[in-house]
Amino acid sequence: MNGMNDDLLLCAGIDKSYNGPQVLSGVDFSLRRGEIHSLVGENGAGKSTLVKILTGVTQRDRGSMVFDGREIPLEHGRTAAQALGIAVIYQELSLIHGMTVAQNIFLTREPLLPGLRLIDRGKMNRMAQELIDRYGFRLRATDVIDGLSIGQRQTVEILKALSGKASLMIMDEPTSSLTAAESAQLFEIIRLLKARGITVLYISHRMEEVYQLSDRVTVLRDGRKVAVLEREQISPAEIIRLMIGRSLTGRESGNRMVRSSGEPVLEVEGLCAEGRLVDITFQVRRGEVLGFGGLVGSGRTELMRTIYGIDPFQAGRIRYLGKPYVPSVARSIAGGYGFVPEERRLQGIMGGLSITGNIGIANLDASSGRFGLVSGGKELDHARQAITLLNVKPADPDIPVGNLSGGNQQKVVVGKWLIRDLKLLIVDEPTVGIDIGAKEEMYQTLRRLADSGVAVIIVSSDLAELTRLSDRILVLRKGRIVREFAEGTVTEEDVLMASSGILQEVPP
Amino acid sequence: MIAHTRLRRLLAGSRLFLILILMMAGLSLLSDRFLTLDNLTNVLWSVCLIGIMCSGAIYAPITGGIDLSVASIAALSGIVLNALMNGAGLNLVLSLAITLGFGLLIGLVNGIVTTRFKVPAFIVTMAAKTYLFGLAMYISKGDQITIMKPRAFLAIGIGKWLGVPFPIYIMAALAVASHILLKHTGFGRRAIAVGANEVAAKLSGVDPDRTRILVYILSAGTAAVAGIVMASLTQQAYAMNAGGYELDVITAIVVGGTSLMGGSGSVAGALTGAVMVGFINNGLNLLNMPASYHPLATGLVILAALILNQGMSLPRTLIRWMARLRPSA
Repeated sequence: MNGMNDDLLLCAGIDKSYNGPQVLSGVDFSLRRGEIHSLVGENGAGKSTLVKILTGVTQRDRGSMVFDGREIPLEHGRTAAQALGIAVIYQELSLIHGMTVAQNIFLTREPLLPGLRLIDRGKMNRMAQELIDRYGFRLRATDVIDGLSIGQRQTVEILKALSGKASLMIMDEPTSSLTAAESAQLFEIIRLLKARGITVLYISHRMEEVYQLSDRVTVLRDGRKVAVLEREQISPAEIIRLMIGRSLTGRESGNRMVRSSGEPVLEVEGLCAEGRLVDITFQVRRGEVLGFGGLVGSGRTELMRTIYGIDPFQAGRIRYLGKPYVPSVARSIAGGYGFVPEERRLQGIMGGLSITGNIGIANLDASSGRFGLVSGGKELDHARQAITLLNVKPADPDIPVGNLSGGNQQKVVVGKWLIRDLKLLIVDEPTVGIDIGAKEEMYQTLRRLADSGVAVIIVSSDLAELTRLSDRILVLRKGRIVREFAEGTVTEEDVLMASSGILQEVPP
Repeated sequence: MIAHTRLRRLLAGSRLFLILILMMAGLSLLSDRFLTLDNLTNVLWSVCLIGIMCSGAIYAPITGGIDLSVASIAALSGIVLNALMNGAGLNLVLSLAITLGFGLLIGLVNGIVTTRFKVPAFIVTMAAKTYLFGLAMYISKGDQITIMKPRAFLAIGIGKWLGVPFPIYIMAALAVASHILLKHTGFGRRAIAVGANEVAAKLSGVDPDRTRILVYILSAGTAAVAGIVMASLTQQAYAMNAGGYELDVITAIVVGGTSLMGGSGSVAGALTGAVMVGFINNGLNLLNMPASYHPLATGLVILAALILNQGMSLPRTLIRWMARLRPSA
């Protein structure tokens, strides 16, 4: 049954390190022809590195790889992977707007008119439509990308891969931006691919999807393969237990939640925002670190943006410092909010500007004097204060923030709020892409702020970070708060179970 | 480390000035008429209009936008002013105020269309350039209107104080005001922030739309002032006046070290750039080069100045632009 011919991919003893830390150690991994195989693990478990190795984006240090009976050399590049039939459907879609479905599918491989270097549009459209019809997708070759839904665009991505005769299709969190109906359609497509003999490697944090779809599941933890589960062994609770693991590091002992007795800083009641948030009620108190858990796409970031005043809401009430409050970014900042966005490079820093410039822009009120003139001296003082408070390196206020390391960039983004009379700090993913040392400093900073009476809200996909840092945890799922951990001991497993909607399987 | 960055920045800032000094030294060796007070005043005079326009127009590139309508606004302002002053017979001060207000209004329209309707500034101001020129043609019926009165108006362009023409004072005052606005006010900080990273600026409390609208109002305002000065200086109102000036303005700004990608800018640099372009033209005249060679020589000298001034960063900028144009795979 499990003869060599059944295996599309066989990896053995894969090692990989990025200048130092070992990301993958001795990973064995196999894919059978025509199976739907899920790859699961916490953030940082090594999933994306493994995918990058398969697709030739990065190279493994050691280990053998056999694809379709062929030995793959260590220096395996992106073009080589494509030629072998390994295709990836990217999270951030790579289609070109303004072009049709057919144009996107055959981009750079357009059929040409005989003897001419001109594109044979009619033939291209016919080829695309044939492909679409073969899989029974609801699309027309001549549809323009701009008019398609996210789900349909994903279908075009899949078609693009199929036109290149893919035998392995890798999907990385494909449902994170899809509606429930679109997800259901995608699952149909995935099963269709399977029926046509195409192997699908499915990566998702959503346990119910993994459970619904998979023929087999490989679980990674801390760069090692922990288990491969066969269809009949798969249960969401079991996968989560394997992902979190039982180690002697004390992770399973969890962290104690502490109820804060400070007066409420922000009170949210029945907040609803079209298609994103449903009936959200919570409060955060002085001196408390409130953590928000949940999967990507569960509405955590949307909630933060709404209470800060970036996005509007349709129903519900917000009270800030005891008074009714309608957030707008300018009002929030003036009133003592601080906000550290999710995507540091795109939303947090102004890379070309100096540390002083980045910190100054949020503190113009404090540095402006008579006639609206800004005092450069005060701005420099602010920058120096923030640099000292957070130990930014190098401690040069003139250096462009884009030249700093990720950790120091994040310190600047946090720092601009710390020199203000801060009452509420919202931090979305406090430590993504920053090194261990800077992480530790960030944790201490946030704790110190809370101890000084600031209400701190954090959103984190890093469960260890979330349980360690929070005094209280709220778990969001599909735009609702589904669980509060306010007392007793909470483990990473508890939070992940709640995020995945399998509360009932939590042992008492 | 700190001293090092400071020094490097100072050197980068003054590189353009050094190029200008070198150019002047070269010209004074080639022609003994160059380094005379009369000639230098002449050059400054000729770059006044560009300098005045630059002091307001520089904010558009700083925010990552561009204003191509400044020349049309200038020409139209002269025609509107003449119509108010000599057509409708309003007094000078009121006519000037209305003309300036009209200019600011055009900027408001440019700003609103760019921000509220999300049309790129390039397109919005290119359209404005065309329809404002059309409006100027319509009002003036395409005529070259000669303005001989009132005397007080004509004094704006040709009057002198302490031997220096008034327009030079106007340019200097606007440039100093613009420099202060950019380097020492919240508005300047916000404009730079919007150009550096609009989203980050917004999350830090900046209203990018409001900032942009103000930017285009400023740009149109100084263009209207330039139009008034130009009408007085040339003693005429004509739709073709200032034709092509928008490119000279952008050239001066870019030569002055302001990036068209936004996030940085220097008024002093733009002014130096304008003066440099003036010296190039002046030098070609002094060297008796036939007029038909002027554009070719000017273009090549500007290109050389740009490369010298940008040092390594120009090629890098070009590569980044090419990468942007290529669709991401």
